[in-house]
Amino acid sequence: MDELEVLKKEWQSREHEFPKLSSKEIYPMLLRKSSSLVKWIFYISIAELVLWTSLAFVAPESTKQINEAMGLRTTLLVVSIVGYVITFIFIYLFYKNYRSIKVTDSIKDLMSSILRTRKTVRYFVYYNIGAAILLLTFTNIFYYSKKETLYATFSKFSEDYAAIPPESFTTVFFTAQILAGVLLILLLVVFYRLVYGILLRRLKRNYKELKKIEV
Amino acid sequence: MTKELEHSFVAQLEENQNIVHKICRLYTNDSESHNDLFQEITIQLWRAYPKFRGDSKFSTWMYRVALNTAITLYRKSKRMVQTQDYEGVSFKITAEAYDDTVEEQLKLMYKAVKNLNDIDKALVFLYLEDKSYREIAETLGISEVNARVKMNRIKEKLRKILNP
Repeated sequence: MDELEVLKKEWQSREHEFPKLSSKEIYPMLLRKSSSLVKWIFYISIAELVLWTSLAFVAPESTKQINEAMGLRTTLLVVSIVGYVITFIFIYLFYKNYRSIKVTDSIKDLMSSILRTRKTVRYFVYYNIGAAILLLTFTNIFYYSKKETLYATFSKFSEDYAAIPPESFTTVFFTAQILAGVLLILLLVVFYRLVYGILLRRLKRNYKELKKIEV
Repeated sequence: MTKELEHSFVAQLEENQNIVHKICRLYTNDSESHNDLFQEITIQLWRAYPKFRGDSKFSTWMYRVALNTAITLYRKSKRMVQTQDYEGVSFKITAEAYDDTVEEQLKLMYKAVKNLNDIDKALVFLYLEDKSYREIAETLGISEVNARVKMNRIKEKLRKILNP
């Protein structure tokens, strides 16, 4: 006889072995807080959206003055308006995807809606990193083309820069820019690998397993 | 209204709690995790309950939410022990079938089922619960044919484990 059939027969008869919770014990359970994966993803995603959106506000006043002196004011204004519009689109998409996560869906649908939500936020982060790289590259190219004005402007705003002799200023300035940029991106990559690696490992593995059945 | 909803929910959960216990037993390895998962499933069921229309049986609806929680939403606590306590699993063998080897086989079978991956385990669980392939397929979100094929493969796998 099929062993699984034997187990199936016994399966139902073992029910009395389980703890029997009374309704008195169930009531307080309704009030406790969930610690589900979706909740974690939701909080972390919100933190990411807030972090990247607020980074725009933390630029020091001197940066704005420098940009103004370099004649970049209008360009940067247009860039930031476009940036805000894109951010709002992302926030809307994130909210829409998040709302579509339903625990009453089939296992596969639930998994794919969680992954979709996560993907939106991941694209938002990629977009921000990409935009930051582009912006930095173009600003630096622009700076490079106006080396003399750049030195004059920076030595006016920062004593540290004023201390650097004019002939080595270009090398020091651009090396620092590149190093800081690379370091920041590396840190981000490690952070995301860690946070989402831990959070999504099981979900991704199970999703793959389900997909395999369909092949 | 909320009170009424609460009462009917708790009453139905109390009546059908074995379904949740069985899932917790399959997906966790110690009583602490069992209780944690039971708690999380209860929260998820309660949250989804206002949208439960009663066009399907409460238990059918429950299978979905409970399995979804166990497989996807539940975050295992770090303290989870890797060793599995099979000895705690005992089977009540009916008199006519009583036989040491049968009991032994059952234990091995249960151990093999517990060692399956999360998805295969869900399939076997629904099968053991005597669900139709249509229902199994709908719960997992795959086609009926694929559910059947997959189930046959799992059976084969289990048979090989038991009769090497």
